[in-house]
Amino acid sequence: MINIIVCVKQILDPEMPPGKFKIDPESNKVIPPEGIPLVVSPFDEQAVEAALRIKEQCGAKITVVTVGESSAVNAVKHSLAMGADEGIVVEHIIEGYDSLLTAYILTKAIEEIVAYDLIICGREAADWGSGQVGSIIAESLGIPVVARTRKIEVMDSRLKVEHIIEDGDESLELPMPAVITVSYEIGQARIPTGWGVISAARKKIPSWSLEDIGVDLSQIGDTSSRIKLLKLFTPTRERGCQIIEGKTAAEAAANLALRLREAKVI
Amino acid sequence: MEPTKFDAVVAGAGPAGCAAAYALAKAGLEVLVIERGKFPGAKNMFGGMLCGSVLAQLIPNFWEEAPLERYITRHVITFLSREDSFSIDFQSPSFGKPPYNGYSVLRAKFDKWLAGKVEEAGAIIVPGLLVEDLLWDGNQVVGVKAGGEDFPASVVIAADGVNSLLAQKAGLAEELSTEYVSLGVKELIQLPSEIIQERFNLEDDEGVTQLFDGFCTRGMHGGGFLYTNKESLSLGIVIQLSALRRMGVKPADLLEEFKSHPGVRNLIKGGTVEEYSAHLVPNAGINKVPMLYKDGFLVVGDAAGLVLTTGITLDGASFAFASGMAAAETVKLAKQNGDPSRKTLCNYEKLLKESFVLRDLETFKHSQFFLDNPRLYTTYPELICNLSRGLFTNDGKPRKRLWQLARTEMGRQKLSILHVAVDGFLGRRAI
Repeated sequence: MINIIVCVKQILDPEMPPGKFKIDPESNKVIPPEGIPLVVSPFDEQAVEAALRIKEQCGAKITVVTVGESSAVNAVKHSLAMGADEGIVVEHIIEGYDSLLTAYILTKAIEEIVAYDLIICGREAADWGSGQVGSIIAESLGIPVVARTRKIEVMDSRLKVEHIIEDGDESLELPMPAVITVSYEIGQARIPTGWGVISAARKKIPSWSLEDIGVDLSQIGDTSSRIKLLKLFTPTRERGCQIIEGKTAAEAAANLALRLREAKVI
Repeated sequence: MEPTKFDAVVAGAGPAGCAAAYALAKAGLEVLVIERGKFPGAKNMFGGMLCGSVLAQLIPNFWEEAPLERYITRHVITFLSREDSFSIDFQSPSFGKPPYNGYSVLRAKFDKWLAGKVEEAGAIIVPGLLVEDLLWDGNQVVGVKAGGEDFPASVVIAADGVNSLLAQKAGLAEELSTEYVSLGVKELIQLPSEIIQERFNLEDDEGVTQLFDGFCTRGMHGGGFLYTNKESLSLGIVIQLSALRRMGVKPADLLEEFKSHPGVRNLIKGGTVEEYSAHLVPNAGINKVPMLYKDGFLVVGDAAGLVLTTGITLDGASFAFASGMAAAETVKLAKQNGDPSRKTLCNYEKLLKESFVLRDLETFKHSQFFLDNPRLYTTYPELICNLSRGLFTNDGKPRKRLWQLARTEMGRQKLSILHVAVDGFLGRRAI
């Protein structure tokens, strides 16, 4: 049996009605939509799914870790409802967009958990999509990392993985402990069963503070100066319709051709 | 060992289900709530006003923490003819003091808060799961089946809303007929709060409810409504479903027509539509309230058709809270007695008969018959509007006394004194 740690993040529901998604241009921030609960980032759900498949294959203890506000406990509960064994919330609201900070806090939390053979992360969070946290954790812990993994197999103390590269797949073998990041290639994440939700609701989920895990923010410097968000906006899409007329169909077609040439389409 | 059987399984996390679950969990019972929506509140809708007095019995001083929009200090009733409108306007600062008389509420926020209270109290909510069937032991309901899993329980509380599948599965109710149900459609229209306050003559957090009778339903049984929220208006219409089918009218078209009426369009001017929603409302009153209990089984809220329709009041939420609380009392008793059979559960009906729930429905049992009268939606609103026009017209012709105007207008509407007398008599009994 191996110990797996899965890192999950709570984000705005990507499936919420687009009309509810609003941005405050003054502060360059998303205005949280009222009444719509946050969800686990879909790639992180797939990370939990990948862990559960290993558990089913060869037995594993799965611990889920998240960093966020107190409501992030719901992300852990969702993972537990899917079938993970334990969960931890590191209570800290991460301001800014520096992945190093997130990865640093997670690394500290992972070191606190001590026992780990495999760390699985989503390829990237579905909100900001930086895709760096997994790799930085591996670097900090000094262990190998494979990104965008399609298949994971545990063979004694080694892992056999297939991962996606630009023009195909690559099969790799690596020693444990290791970090692996996954996305939708791993397959559909399971929906929690009713009894899964019930037993998750009954579990006590410990909440750690930054002091608990010995995080010293001065270690990583001023994150706000490294990455600045210049402009946050929703792209506007414009559509126009022009009706090309002509006395006959042939004339209309000719006019259309002229118009298309003018627009440099043909 | 974790318990695998619940004292109560509640189907539906609306006001009725949450009230029952909250009261039971507070009393230390093992409660499971199963909600088919992705989260509590995802499927819930009402016009927009919540009366606070019943909820206050469950959660004292709830107004200090619940996400409420505005407290209602002004009530307007408006009669519409094709172009004109005539309003009765009541405003009272006394409604603006705690405990407030009523609030406008946005369900997405409010239901999320209420469900949070339920979980805080110790109940477990499983969202995204539809209760498909009941589990039986002979004639006794002993749990529910949802998503292919069994959830055993001493008592099942059906709070699954209008046209309750579970009440039907329990053999207490039949599938709902379009005669006994209305369709409500509503838009949430965004407006800055300063504009709302100015436009509706309101201070700070004060709000208004406005009910519309007449042209907006094209003569069908129903009416329009408007509620002010903090930064939006809830505007919609409620129409008898069978009438809607008979007339072959699309509710969205009616709503557009309503919005473009001169008496309405300036109220919503400059607003942007943010949300459109629709929901069924049971409206049959006491005549169609099913048997409310059987062995191991209780029906609450809309699922039991516990909605009051008087023409001026359309209230389901208070009845949902009250029936949910009565159900909780009864389940507590069943737990004490160790007997979830009908012998204990009949207490639920007794509690409802003692409270306003069944008494109000009994008092207004003639309302439906009265409200089915098409003259209420055509003749009378037109008469009132035309009469007012006559009264306020300055056209240089000799003026007539009000009574003369009324006689002329009644003649034009082909309305006899006898009609008025009959409608008046029925109305006295109904409203």
